[in-house]
Amino acid sequence: MSSSSGKPSSTELNIPLHVKYIQTLGQNKDDLMYHMTSHLRMNAIYWGLMALCIMNRKDALDRDETIEFVLSCWDDEAGAFGAHPGHDAHILSTLSAIQVLTIHDAVDKIDVSRVVKFILSLQQPSGVFAGDSFGEIDTRFSYIAVQALSLLGHLDKLDVEKTVAYVLKCRNFDGGFGAVIGAESHSGQVFVCVALLAILDKLDEIDQDTLAWWLAERQLPNGGLNGRPQKLEDVCYSFWVLSAISILDKLTWIDADKLAGFILSAQDLENGGIADRPGDQPDVFHTIFGVAGLSLLGHPGLEDVDPVYCLPASLTEKLGLRKAWRALPRRTVS
Amino acid sequence: MSHVESNDPADQTLLYCEKPEWQDVTPIPQYDGVNPIAPIFYTPEYKDATEYFRAVVEKDEISERVLQLTLDIIQMNPAHYSAWQYRYRTIIALKRPLEAELTLMDVLAIQFLKTYQVWHHRRLVLTALYESSTSDSASSPSSNAAGAAAAAKELAFITRALETDTKNYHTWSYRQWLLAFFDDEALWEGELPYVERLLEADVRNNSAWHHRFFVVFGRVRAKGEVDLEEVLKRELSYTKDQIAFAPNNPSAWNYLRGILERNKKPYSDLQTFVEPYTVPASSSTDEGIVDLDNPRPGPGAQLPCVAALEFLADIHEKAGGEQTKQAIEIWKSLANEHDTMRKKYWEFRVKEASA
Repeated sequence: MSSSSGKPSSTELNIPLHVKYIQTLGQNKDDLMYHMTSHLRMNAIYWGLMALCIMNRKDALDRDETIEFVLSCWDDEAGAFGAHPGHDAHILSTLSAIQVLTIHDAVDKIDVSRVVKFILSLQQPSGVFAGDSFGEIDTRFSYIAVQALSLLGHLDKLDVEKTVAYVLKCRNFDGGFGAVIGAESHSGQVFVCVALLAILDKLDEIDQDTLAWWLAERQLPNGGLNGRPQKLEDVCYSFWVLSAISILDKLTWIDADKLAGFILSAQDLENGGIADRPGDQPDVFHTIFGVAGLSLLGHPGLEDVDPVYCLPASLTEKLGLRKAWRALPRRTVS
Repeated sequence: MSHVESNDPADQTLLYCEKPEWQDVTPIPQYDGVNPIAPIFYTPEYKDATEYFRAVVEKDEISERVLQLTLDIIQMNPAHYSAWQYRYRTIIALKRPLEAELTLMDVLAIQFLKTYQVWHHRRLVLTALYESSTSDSASSPSSNAAGAAAAAKELAFITRALETDTKNYHTWSYRQWLLAFFDDEALWEGELPYVERLLEADVRNNSAWHHRFFVVFGRVRAKGEVDLEEVLKRELSYTKDQIAFAPNNPSAWNYLRGILERNKKPYSDLQTFVEPYTVPASSSTDEGIVDLDNPRPGPGAQLPCVAALEFLADIHEKAGGEQTKQAIEIWKSLANEHDTMRKKYWEFRVKEASA
């Protein structure tokens, strides 16, 4: 897998360096932005762990410490997880907590019925979900609710019809989906809506070819993908566009070589990690979505990722949650 | 007003633990005996303020000083949703003037444009403002004068905010919510000219095209209130002009398809318009003829245009029969020459049509 010269080049994924980058994330005391992102700390743990799973290095973060951190973020008043010890519960951190615990086969450590109650309490009369009691609504939160209930085995308690009805109302004239009714189409929102419909077996409700074409049009001449027409390419869309289009079984419509080249060129080959685009500062968010994108493209040496759940495919298979998505076949050599 | 909140950094030189008026409160530290895997390294000011905030939440204090505390935290971390939530609750409980809250938040909204919370807070405050003035007679947001005035002022603010970032997702969503919620003719009528100003500045602004569709077709109207044929005619004419001005603009082509689908009109209505965009620039022979219904690509346009080829192929495919061959020819040219990156998609179209 690595080149004979030993010197890393941007045509291959430097797995050891990215593993080290994730392991040292919590120690970046100099990072001025670090305290600003405390509201995403639980998500960051999930992103880091999932990136490691895809690179086949799940063991690189200590299992017991990770579980201990997750459990320390429990908000007992709300009955769900905050992003950090002492933070109020939020649906974003709650899903990340469930994902991390699922990866580590430790969901039995939490009060599942309370979490289910918390999630269901966030559904609004319109059918969409809020993220917390402050009231932000977004189809993203609907997807998170559906995935969380699915992983916990309590989808039967969801009002499926109402949930799906709201998502379908967010469909726009260009075939894409927005965050709320009336909002512009956006790749990230297309991903959450498509994955939600996949989990609920409702993909037949939409015009899949038109939507897949809108996604294919997101690829720019440099190979990268953008979130909306005329916006800049960004590595994170490598996952959102690719996952949505692989759920629709049209991944071949993307030029895989060009996109892989773009993701690989955004690696930081000095300190590890992947950035939003070449030359920028890396972060764990773009690292997971870059690596997950490469996995869907069949990049050698990576584990399969389930695009519906953004979890290891072997895990969703084991849990009996696998849907009919299709990634590119895994290649054995670069 | 006895207490005025301050955005002035000079007033914030003291930490909360040094302020005499906070001596009655015992701060609650972040890590209560927990030693987490991912410790967070806060600035002393942020650590200090959030420790006092936790104490305030713990004893459920609703007071004037909480307003300054939450404002300080929000300025240091605008994504701190608990601080926003507590602030909103406090404002309502103390019956603070809501217009003043919006004004105070103007600077923050522009500064933290990409943070959802600043917009959600405005939405809550504006809704409360409307509801507080509607208790007597009004039955809908638009028939409420105070609410409508606040909404008009807010719309002007959103316009200023969008000048900073003309594609900001939260700001646009908030604008669309405001229009739909108040549903006031006076608010709606400025929207089309506004969109046109934005598209004049940047004809490729997809957010503006999206908003155009929202404004033209998104509003729920009584039957017969507008002449749909007239609207369609106006929209077709406008879009064709913008395509002539900048042919390789996917947003305009998407809009064109969108309005045809919405009005259940066949693409073939536009064949005459589309054809000049599907051939190389030099092969046009009738330069001298000006057809206002079918504006031609401007000089220097990059032709043929991929979106036009796709559009024409769709017309041929729909017609079927002999024309299917023409569609296939176009798709093959897209696969092999004009849009090779999406080769697999065009080959899929060929295969589907040949099946």
